[in-house]
Amino acid sequence: MDLASLGGNLLGTIPLGDIVLYLTPFHLFMFVVVLIFTVLIAMSRTETQVEASFKTLNDNKVSVGLEEFKIRRFLAIVCGLATAGAMITGDLFNFTLFATLIGIVNLGIVSAVKQIDVLDAAYNYGLIAMICSLPLFGGAAIILASTGTLSLFEIAKIATTAPMMTFGALLLLIGIAGETGTAPFFATKAEMFRTPGSPFILIIHLSSLMVIIRAIEIILIIIKVI
Amino acid sequence: MKGIGNLWNKLASPKRIPKLFSVALGLLLVIGFLIPMDLNVNQLYPRPIPQQQVEEGLAVAPYDRGGEVLKVPGITKAQYPENSKSIGWINSYMSPQALFVKSISPYFGTSIYSSPGGLIDEILYYTRGFDTILESSILMMSFTIASWLALNFTINRRKENFK
Repeated sequence: MDLASLGGNLLGTIPLGDIVLYLTPFHLFMFVVVLIFTVLIAMSRTETQVEASFKTLNDNKVSVGLEEFKIRRFLAIVCGLATAGAMITGDLFNFTLFATLIGIVNLGIVSAVKQIDVLDAAYNYGLIAMICSLPLFGGAAIILASTGTLSLFEIAKIATTAPMMTFGALLLLIGIAGETGTAPFFATKAEMFRTPGSPFILIIHLSSLMVIIRAIEIILIIIKVI
Repeated sequence: MKGIGNLWNKLASPKRIPKLFSVALGLLLVIGFLIPMDLNVNQLYPRPIPQQQVEEGLAVAPYDRGGEVLKVPGITKAQYPENSKSIGWINSYMSPQALFVKSISPYFGTSIYSSPGGLIDEILYYTRGFDTILESSILMMSFTIASWLALNFTINRRKENFK
């Protein structure tokens, strides 16, 4: 599909050399939403989980220490900015880099938790994030080889889809699916949420949702099925 | 229906996910062997044909990108030339030492220290500079996380409340 039918009329571009960020109503909306959420998360404090104790009437409060709070807030802000960047970038390789940055920062947000289950899930997610660098960058490289360009503007102008482009887009899709933890690969990310520090944990979820929407749009630009 | 329930339960265990993911990726990569190869020759960042520059006898043989130091820009293509006005200048630059070695040795281009940056630098620092910023921020974030964990979980253990 062309850019206009996917995202609306082109409002403008931000040229950074060969990397041109582009603004359409769709991308601008997602960009602003992510930024608003990032600001809200940066301002908020963490929750305290209350666990009922066994055999007593006492409650066990699980809260986040100040040091942990600071590093988590920092990483959550970086994650929000990376997600916002992934929303408006107009370059395929740039997008994969943003996705990788989101992946590593997601891992960092839960890395300081002292809960074995969460750390175990985070470790498994880290394995997937490492494996994902192959399909993400490999997909971008294959698309570069078969089209000769990485700019989404130029790719959108190409009339036909070569089989290699479809394969590259599939690689990109499986990379994004692993990195964001969608349908069959959800367990690692879902387990990572079971930890105190709610608003910072939320950005993990939000970034996945936003990135997968953008990835589908990019894949529709590459594969001209409709 | 019981089978589907079992399947969902198995999928809910984080330990199985990396294996499942790598199997899925492996299958896709195997299918990739069946895809007909396709290379667009009109690449954005072209390279000369192997051995072409060696046979021409250029002094910086595999890495000669044309141009003249601080006089004529080298050969670099950009996707959007209107955004990169001074393209090619990094590409053609060589330090005085490099110029000296180039003048006395015909094998200058074959050693790693000789590569005058050239095309890679042009792409990394000029036409695709934003990628470089992102790549280094990925590295910075991983070092931040690793050093934070090292400081708080291995060095400053005395502060922790052991129960």
